[in-house]
Amino acid sequence: MIILSLLFIDNYLSNHLQIKIMNEKKTLTIILTEGPYRSQYANLAYELAMSALNNEYNINMFLYMDATHIPRRGQNPHSFPNVGHKYKKLLKKGADIRVCIRCATARGHACDPHSPYLKGIKITTVYDIPEWVLNSDKVISLG
Amino acid sequence: MKSALIIIDKAPYGYEDAFSGFYVAIACLNRDLDADVLLVGDGVYAAMERQESEESIKFPNVGELCYLIFPEGSLFVHENSMLERGIKEKELVEAAEIINDEELYEIIRSKTVETAVIKI
Repeated sequence: MIILSLLFIDNYLSNHLQIKIMNEKKTLTIILTEGPYRSQYANLAYELAMSALNNEYNINMFLYMDATHIPRRGQNPHSFPNVGHKYKKLLKKGADIRVCIRCATARGHACDPHSPYLKGIKITTVYDIPEWVLNSDKVISLG
Repeated sequence: MKSALIIIDKAPYGYEDAFSGFYVAIACLNRDLDADVLLVGDGVYAAMERQESEESIKFPNVGELCYLIFPEGSLFVHENSMLERGIKEKELVEAAEIINDEELYEIIRSKTVETAVIKI
């Protein structure tokens, strides 16, 4: 009876732990410093993030310096794919995308009474970087 | 991840990068995340003593930011980058730790697994 109980507990624990391990998603943090169009970093970051999301990763993106231009609404490039549309797809897929308030304010974005950013973009501080680094499995900086 | 290494390779003035790189390092240290700064290429100019940007171009003094990461964080300055630019050790801020190529290799090698390498 004792052996059967132990086997049951052992089986329960191994199944439970296995499920827990399977549910623990890995987290990738991308720190981007370049703006859109002048370089391809914004597109590269999009491709990386989308691929990671499709592979069940949590995605954090911190947009720093000129990268705070990337998630603006109303972009209308004539010769390039629209980066704003791409980042909208990332937000829909669950990416956590934040812009640095110091950088955004300097560029006239954060102070706008009507948010110039895509719905879902968070305006935060550089202090999110250490928090995200501590909770990430991998950090990639681009720019 | 357990620490961050911020790499700066642009000159402190003319670009926002060095200033913003130090900002990230300071934020990390204030949140008890180990952080070091590595200056390579034109980034080594950021460690020069007696910068006077506030008076001349109304830009924050990046040299002073070096002291805000010290002593909790290290300020590594790549020796060859200094020599190529004719910069001498005595011209650098006290917090600067000059490293040669072998030491640079060791620093990078020791920080590959649990360190976020953030190139600004």
